[in-house]
Amino acid sequence: MKKWITTSGVIAALALGLAGSPASAQGSGTFKYAEQVKLITMDPQKQSGSGVPFLRPAYESLFEKGPDGENVPLLATEYTVDGLDVTIKLREGVSFSNGEPFNAEAAAANINRGVEIGIVEGLKTVESAKAIDEYTLGIKLKEIDPAIITTLCYTGGMMIAPSAMADPALDRNPVGTGPYVHSKDESREGEVQVYVPNPTYWDKDMIGLARYEVWEIPDDTARLNALKTGQIDAGNWLSNPQAAIIDKSPDLKLIRNNGGLNYHVIISDREGTVVPAFADPMVRKAMALAIDRDAFNQAIQFGLAVKSFQPYGKGDWAYDPALEGVYEYNVEKARELMAQSKFPDGFTFDMPSIPIYQPRLEALAGFFNEIGITMNIVPVEPGTLARRSRTTDFPATNLVWNTVTDPKFLALRYIYEDAAYNPFKAKPSEALLALAQEGLTSVETDVRAPIYHKMAAQLADEAFLIFVTNAPILIGVSDDTAENPTVRYRYGEDSINLRGLKAND
Amino acid sequence: MTTTSQNEPNTGPRRINFRPSASTAIVAAAGSVLVLLVFLAIFADWIAPYDPLRQNLIKAMQGPSAAHWLGTDDLGRDVLSRLIFGCRIAVLAAAEATSIAVLLGVPLGLFIGYRGGWWDWVVMRVVEAVVSIPGIMVAIVIIAILGAGLHRAMIALGILFSTSFLRLARGVVLAEREEVYVRSARVIGASDRRILLRHIFPNIAPPLVVQVTLTVGAVLLAEAGLSFIGLGVQPPDASWGTMLNSAAAYMDLNWFLAVPPGIAIILTVLSVNLLGDVIRDSIGRGVAVGVDPGKPAERFVPAIAATGAESPAPPPLADEVLRVEGLQVLVSGRDGHEVPVITDLSFGISRGETLGLVGESGSGKTITGLSILGLIGAGGRTTHGSIVLNGRDLRRLTPKQLEEVRGNEVAMVFQDPTTSLNPAFTVGSQIAEVLRTKQGLSGKQAWSRVVELIDRVGIPRPEERARAYPHELSGGMAQRIAIARALSCNPSLLIADEPTTALDVTVQQEILDLFRDLQGEFGMAILFVTHDLAVAADISDRISVMYAGEMVEMAEVDALFARPRHPYTRGLLSAMPHASSRNPPLPTIRGNVPRPGSWPSGCRFSNRCDFATAACERPIPLVGTDRLVRCIRAPELELKAAS
Amino acid sequence: MFRLVAQRLLALVPLLFIVSVLAFSFTSLLPSDPVDLILGDTGTQEQHEMLRERMGLNEPLVVRYFQWLGKAVQGDLGTSFFNSVSVTDAVLLRLPVTLSLTAISALIAIVVGIAAGVAAALHPRSWIDRLATVGATFGQAVPNFWFGLILVAVFAVNLRWFPATGFTPISVSPWDWLRSVTLPSLALGLSSSAAIARQVRSAMVGVLQQDYIRAARAQGLSSRRVILRHALTNAMVPVVAVLSFQITVLLGGALIVEQVFAINGLGTLAIAAVRQQDIPMLQGLVLVMVGLVVLVQLATDLLYGLLNPKARPT
Repeated sequence: MKKWITTSGVIAALALGLAGSPASAQGSGTFKYAEQVKLITMDPQKQSGSGVPFLRPAYESLFEKGPDGENVPLLATEYTVDGLDVTIKLREGVSFSNGEPFNAEAAAANINRGVEIGIVEGLKTVESAKAIDEYTLGIKLKEIDPAIITTLCYTGGMMIAPSAMADPALDRNPVGTGPYVHSKDESREGEVQVYVPNPTYWDKDMIGLARYEVWEIPDDTARLNALKTGQIDAGNWLSNPQAAIIDKSPDLKLIRNNGGLNYHVIISDREGTVVPAFADPMVRKAMALAIDRDAFNQAIQFGLAVKSFQPYGKGDWAYDPALEGVYEYNVEKARELMAQSKFPDGFTFDMPSIPIYQPRLEALAGFFNEIGITMNIVPVEPGTLARRSRTTDFPATNLVWNTVTDPKFLALRYIYEDAAYNPFKAKPSEALLALAQEGLTSVETDVRAPIYHKMAAQLADEAFLIFVTNAPILIGVSDDTAENPTVRYRYGEDSINLRGLKAND
Repeated sequence: MTTTSQNEPNTGPRRINFRPSASTAIVAAAGSVLVLLVFLAIFADWIAPYDPLRQNLIKAMQGPSAAHWLGTDDLGRDVLSRLIFGCRIAVLAAAEATSIAVLLGVPLGLFIGYRGGWWDWVVMRVVEAVVSIPGIMVAIVIIAILGAGLHRAMIALGILFSTSFLRLARGVVLAEREEVYVRSARVIGASDRRILLRHIFPNIAPPLVVQVTLTVGAVLLAEAGLSFIGLGVQPPDASWGTMLNSAAAYMDLNWFLAVPPGIAIILTVLSVNLLGDVIRDSIGRGVAVGVDPGKPAERFVPAIAATGAESPAPPPLADEVLRVEGLQVLVSGRDGHEVPVITDLSFGISRGETLGLVGESGSGKTITGLSILGLIGAGGRTTHGSIVLNGRDLRRLTPKQLEEVRGNEVAMVFQDPTTSLNPAFTVGSQIAEVLRTKQGLSGKQAWSRVVELIDRVGIPRPEERARAYPHELSGGMAQRIAIARALSCNPSLLIADEPTTALDVTVQQEILDLFRDLQGEFGMAILFVTHDLAVAADISDRISVMYAGEMVEMAEVDALFARPRHPYTRGLLSAMPHASSRNPPLPTIRGNVPRPGSWPSGCRFSNRCDFATAACERPIPLVGTDRLVRCIRAPELELKAAS
Repeated sequence: MFRLVAQRLLALVPLLFIVSVLAFSFTSLLPSDPVDLILGDTGTQEQHEMLRERMGLNEPLVVRYFQWLGKAVQGDLGTSFFNSVSVTDAVLLRLPVTLSLTAISALIAIVVGIAAGVAAALHPRSWIDRLATVGATFGQAVPNFWFGLILVAVFAVNLRWFPATGFTPISVSPWDWLRSVTLPSLALGLSSSAAIARQVRSAMVGVLQQDYIRAARAQGLSSRRVILRHALTNAMVPVVAVLSFQITVLLGGALIVEQVFAINGLGTLAIAAVRQQDIPMLQGLVLVMVGLVVLVQLATDLLYGLLNPKARPT
């Protein structure tokens, strides 16, 4: 920690020196963004679930998503995928904000660290990475992975300065190549993280702000008030009453970003280790049938979502229209299934909850209660739901599936025996396993789509993933932000692209 | 250290007896709320119109209607049903946490109280430590260990509140132990443990009941709070706290959701607290069987409007400072009716003179002093007559003007110097305050005057004593200070209310001498109120004897002692211990001074008077010229005595 | 006065020691293994062992206690289990927030409580007295967070006089700070106002019957002076004892009221720490709160001595 402070002092001195030179493009003004989840870590390779807006200012990934979801090089310049070998050319002349050079050595160290830590699920297919030459990175895959470049668009491709990797406090001292650097002194833990221009940034023209702030405001009403009063310029929301209020307010705008948040229940204990009933597919189907998704959408999500029966929504290539309505609300049928199952008298299980999901879970508990199933709602700290969901603490959980995610991650998250959200190590069915393997054989969506349609149908049949509703990613902004031409929403992400972002007038 | 029975010398158990009257209504109302609560809790399944968990998302957040009396919540669940089921959780929570607190705290408290020593020390230090952490934080930490949920949260609260039961039980043991050790010396063969147990249980019950009511109220609030922050009852179960928790999220859209559970909590806690207050009061009052506040046996017949017997006003004196004429004072009794405490009182005092006002307690002499100052208090008022001081009728002055008069023209010295000086300030500052506010002296001037005055009333090292607090001075010295304060503005009348009664006999004489000296120097008139004829004889020029709110005799001091004319005066004199006649037992006047409101309608002394005749049954005027007496038989009795 | 402070401080040492033992012993009481908590199910056996070693969990409990205490007395309360944030920093950052609420609500409670109590005592059995008594009884039955919700509904949502949520640091804008703490402090201060009012009333009724009050009046001092200086000073003696307790209650209440107003204070920190079983954070919070309570007690002791000369050491 001490070391970091000294280096940052040097950098600050450097920055002061550079500020005078005409070459340095310093931004002006402040942009304030509010995040609905609390900051857990700023170490991209230990980050799970939401909270990416805290990372984007300081870290850049090798690739990023273009406006239509295509992969665009950022810290990379080009790539080739040849079977299990991925070769990536890196941008030259980039350095980390602590002065270390960005090169293949550093990139390889990052990928290898990510693989070792094992939290970034997209890197599960990676065997190892190595520097081929100074600016050429080689990644060796364990298996064919059509989504490896997509993985490198997100946290898996974010580059950490090599010396910072050893910092035990990396979770609060990010050192990357991003346009902004984290200002620890100005940040207030649990309240706001402050970022200031990176004096060593490789593309100074893209620094449009003097200061960027990410506020942690988990309370939806508080975040709404902050937006109304101008304390923040933008923030993310789930489909909840506050989002509905933003949608109705004349001087605020609710941006429906591409990508959907597909809310679903995961029966983690599907072999019945803790809750025997979960091993019975009839019980799981009954649960899926017991949910009145239209009412749920209206009452809980204020009509901002659509009902969902599969991982993807209309317009996504992996979406299968044939599955629409497969578990349409039918409580009689659900009760019938329960009666036929081995658990006609119902059962009880625990479900982790964070405050923003509380009403959803209460509604689900109400639906399940109708068919004799008691769901206890157990609060966990906001920001830890994803992590707790990976443990055997809970036999079931609830998360959102981001529909811009490549379908191969369905297997990585839920299907494989060592999948991230398969803490009970349930064995996947032959059918699912085969489809998961088949989906990896091509990078062409035309080829992959029918495979994943089949997978979606199989998932629906096994019913351990119960999809409820799919809502767009919602970003609430002030009118000024809505009119700001430099605001670009990241494809499928609840954040704003900081490169080139300028303050509202 | 709390000793719960310190105000009760006998060790018999205290009884809880509810007082009737105003609290009956409260008990009834609070009791019915709680009975209803328990009833709803038990029969929730039958009473609640809907299943509390049954949702209807289409009908979410509706206002009150015929189908849903209190509307529906965010998931379309019936608010009334949830409220009714919430009763069950409230009752369970209160019962659970309170039982745990009692079962944990009482035995442990008894044990450490009995065992004492090292055990006691350690446990008490731990209790102190726990108590010094905010209660909710203690509960939060215990929940961190146990996990969230109703029962676990109630265990947490039980542990938290057990500290108060522990201290209570320990206090009872400690208090009883002292008692038992004294007795057990006489009881042979019985172990003190058995005695201790036998004494503790009856004694611990009343404070335990009080503590339980306090705890139940606190538990209900704490449970709601913990459920509200998500650490208590977990949704979807309906507790009032969780209902408020979800209401909080929808405040913008439907604030009414917060109303029913809030009212339920308030009503319940209010009822418990009110019941607790009544129980606490009745235990507090149950110690002594109160005097029956019933009606007085006889009403005071001579109408309040007119002073009974019109006595002629006494002739004016030369150089008169104060003249009181036809004074009547009423106070409100317990039942709200006003009763007279002083009637038809007239007297005067001239400059440099001391008038002794003598009578038994209850005769109205202190009230006389206070009514001159206009300080009878909220319960009483002066209804008739005039109080003319230096030519102005004080009864006609505004409160502001009267305030001006007090201190400057008339001042008072009270009976107990240790209580008549404010314990919070130095004695010097209390005199200086008067000088500054009444005479407008600067702080410095006032202080030097204070030192002079303190010196003048005969206190050595006045500079130093001026900086002392009242509790640091002896009674005599404090009375000198009080006198110095009274005289600080050089009043023309000084009222001294039993100024020597609370003092040692040796000091008494010094104080009397001081009064005489000061009167010589300042020349003020003194109204000297005392029950002690000897003191009155010592200091007074004239003596006025009061009985049951009226003056019965007034005369020059020598004349009075030589020839008392009223049978009461005579009784008083013969009851006076004379140095010469110690041997025969002192004759006393039979009976007691009747309480105000139960005075005889004629001569008020008639029921105790050996000379009373039928003529005494009508009001008697005060008559005479140089000396006054209120007795129709005075002339004949005087003759008899002379013969 | 100096001697009193020194005496009291010395007397606090055993208390603080025991609190520290209590706070520390949570570690051994908590059901879960901190290493498991931190690593989740992801870490390897090796990583578990390494972390265990790094956190010093292999040392005996007593050794760990003294290591922790040694650091704690130097102001280092350790590091959160969940991120690299220093507990001291996190608590210090949140402290002003909770202190603002506690202080303002204490101020409200004192002012309202004394005013109502005095008014009631001056006019016993009048409508003022009845209003104050009924108000106080109600005030003690109203949950602070519910009152907060109602205040929000009325004054923030409908009238828009105050912000519904959030906290502005005083350094940013004193005016906005005041606006942001007003509603929470009112919500928090209600029940303490009620408790203080009851205490003041009964103390005042008692004091007003004292001879020295009558004596002061007999001396011609104005009613105002007699009540505010002579009576109140003495009536405050028992009130001060209640005050110290009430401030502890307020500090605890702030933890809950913060949640109503989405204020990021010690309460938010504490609730997060409970959910995450973040032991160092809980330990630190308990110690800091006890520290605050102790300071309040010290202050009230001094005030007690000031008001009651008999209690001063001679």
